[in-house]
Amino acid sequence: MKLIKNTLAALLAGATLLGGASNSMAADKPVRIAAPVYGLRSEFMKVWTDWLMEHPAVKSGEAKVTIFDGRYDPNVQNDQFDTIIVQQFDAIVFVPLDIEAGGRTLEKAIAAGIPVVGANARANSKMLTSYIGSNDDVGGSIEAQYVVDKLGGKGNVVILEGPIGQSGQVERLKGINKVLEKNPEIKVLDKKTANWSRAEALALMENWLTAHPGKIQGVIAENDEMAIGAIQAIKAAGLNVKDFAIVGVDGVKDAIKAAKDGEMVSILQDGKAQAQGALDIALRAVKGEGYQPQSEIWKHYGEKLPWADGTAKNYDVPWTIIDEKSADDVMKMISK
Amino acid sequence: MNASTTASLNSDPQQEANVLARRQAMRSYIHQYGIIVAFFLLCLTLSFASEYFLTTKNIVNVLRQTAINGILAIGMTLVILARGIDLSVGSVLALSGIVAASFATGETPSPAWVACAAGLGVGLACGLVNGVVISKLGVPPFVATLGMLSVARGMTYIYSEGMPIPDLSKGFLWIGQGRVAGVPVPVLFFAAAFILFWVVLNRTTFGRYIYAVGGNERSARTAGINTRKVLVSVYALAGLLAGLGGLILTARTTAGLPQAGQSYELDAIAAVVIGGTSLSGGVGTIRGTLFGALIIGVINNGLDLLGVSSFYQQVVKGAIIVCAVLLDPARRSRD
Repeated sequence: MKLIKNTLAALLAGATLLGGASNSMAADKPVRIAAPVYGLRSEFMKVWTDWLMEHPAVKSGEAKVTIFDGRYDPNVQNDQFDTIIVQQFDAIVFVPLDIEAGGRTLEKAIAAGIPVVGANARANSKMLTSYIGSNDDVGGSIEAQYVVDKLGGKGNVVILEGPIGQSGQVERLKGINKVLEKNPEIKVLDKKTANWSRAEALALMENWLTAHPGKIQGVIAENDEMAIGAIQAIKAAGLNVKDFAIVGVDGVKDAIKAAKDGEMVSILQDGKAQAQGALDIALRAVKGEGYQPQSEIWKHYGEKLPWADGTAKNYDVPWTIIDEKSADDVMKMISK
Repeated sequence: MNASTTASLNSDPQQEANVLARRQAMRSYIHQYGIIVAFFLLCLTLSFASEYFLTTKNIVNVLRQTAINGILAIGMTLVILARGIDLSVGSVLALSGIVAASFATGETPSPAWVACAAGLGVGLACGLVNGVVISKLGVPPFVATLGMLSVARGMTYIYSEGMPIPDLSKGFLWIGQGRVAGVPVPVLFFAAAFILFWVVLNRTTFGRYIYAVGGNERSARTAGINTRKVLVSVYALAGLLAGLGGLILTARTTAGLPQAGQSYELDAIAAVVIGGTSLSGGVGTIRGTLFGALIIGVINNGLDLLGVSSFYQQVVKGAIIVCAVLLDPARRSRD
């Protein structure tokens, strides 16, 4: 009995102390950031949120980030925004699943006075406080240009597409087509979706190798997973991977390894820059003028990604080509 | 005037019985072989449409691409014959694959057989849980396995922390990429599973029990069959086969992928249904399922060869599933 009493007394004393402390440090209360992202089931988004949590401001306790998994459902994201607004977060870092639905969703938060920084994928709304991402259109062009160059401007390619209608698929294809239009001697033998999936791309590429025997010279995949599936299909068919020009996007670990072996080229979509950049921009929106960005990414890109006092409407994170030469550096860059 | 009316007019009972018996035989003949005829017609059409369809390489591709769905569909056949359903096979496949991959990776990977045993063990365990929840706790199969679909997928993400597990040992990759006498290993597993379960269903008491339980569980119990044991075994086997599918998929894609196998249960069910197995249990064959799986594999392959958009692929597959059931004469006579 006595023990319980003592414990209670101690707890009370502690609580009073804490209460007093938090009052006196009101100015240093952590900034509460909500990060609704479209889904944690992809490697890319998983790593992306890990980078967000590695931001210096999160580690020092200056910012407190809560991640909401949208589970690939725009409706779930919409509900999560209601929760976020009720909980009165200070700012939102938003990675929408759907361009249009995402736009309507975020406007509710803006109306409630919470700044929303879009990241990685665009939401169609003029009310977005700011946006930081990698331009998929440009990414697609870089991909296609690599294959065109490697084939000397002439040859047959196939295109592995993402889920039809998703912004990554739509934008990257736009960029790919821009380059291919300028190179009429590059012939697209076939193009089809493999839904970002390695297993689906593997079967599809096997069938293509049968349908176009000895003709396919290049593979343009709209992500790395599918490019790796194509490599497996080529190996399974007993062909030499190095006879093909294969390109993917994202910079997942398996792709960096394949790039190091000279089997493919990937283009790094720098999730670290997107995530940590977004958090700096959100903190600037909350803390106001004079906030200095803390992530090293601003120094890393320098002129190519200017901070602009954190108030620009649009931040374009540059793409980095991953080939035999740069693979080791990129691996170092993305390892914690 | 046709034969049967002549028979009834003449009122010769012997002749009438003969005609009826012949008609019955004809019906069962069509039922058993219709699917096979349909399969060969499909192949014939595709061989005219694409010159590459009937090449050895392509046939090997079709078999290799069908292997995983075929193996899942064999397990699904057992479950559906016992008047059940297993919606969890896709998730169980992913969980088994990820667990096996975790053993087959790293600086000093476990021997391939350990990784395989781990993957198969996980599949078997999930199947056992399904079986016990259904037969002992009385939860309907649809609900129990729907639960497992979600639980196993969740556990896959927890175990892998949402990340793929690459860098698998050579020995393990052999399961998906090796060949024996020119035949890809996944195809060998598929063939072995087919033969084994053909024997189980057609030549063993356990096989007859599965049909009996699916046909009428109560009379099976009255006849002295331990129906619970049969049900638990059936789901356990389906889980084990899903585990095998997980090993093959993981080795084929060279990494344990947490998002693997999504909606694979639907393709497995489709193969079983196209193969003529009744969703109300007790009627069906493993041979039908083999051809059901092959039909799906050939359609996917054929439409890829012809460069048909994947949107049409889905429409064609759906239409064929419904037609297969509509054209099944046994089903019509039963209803």
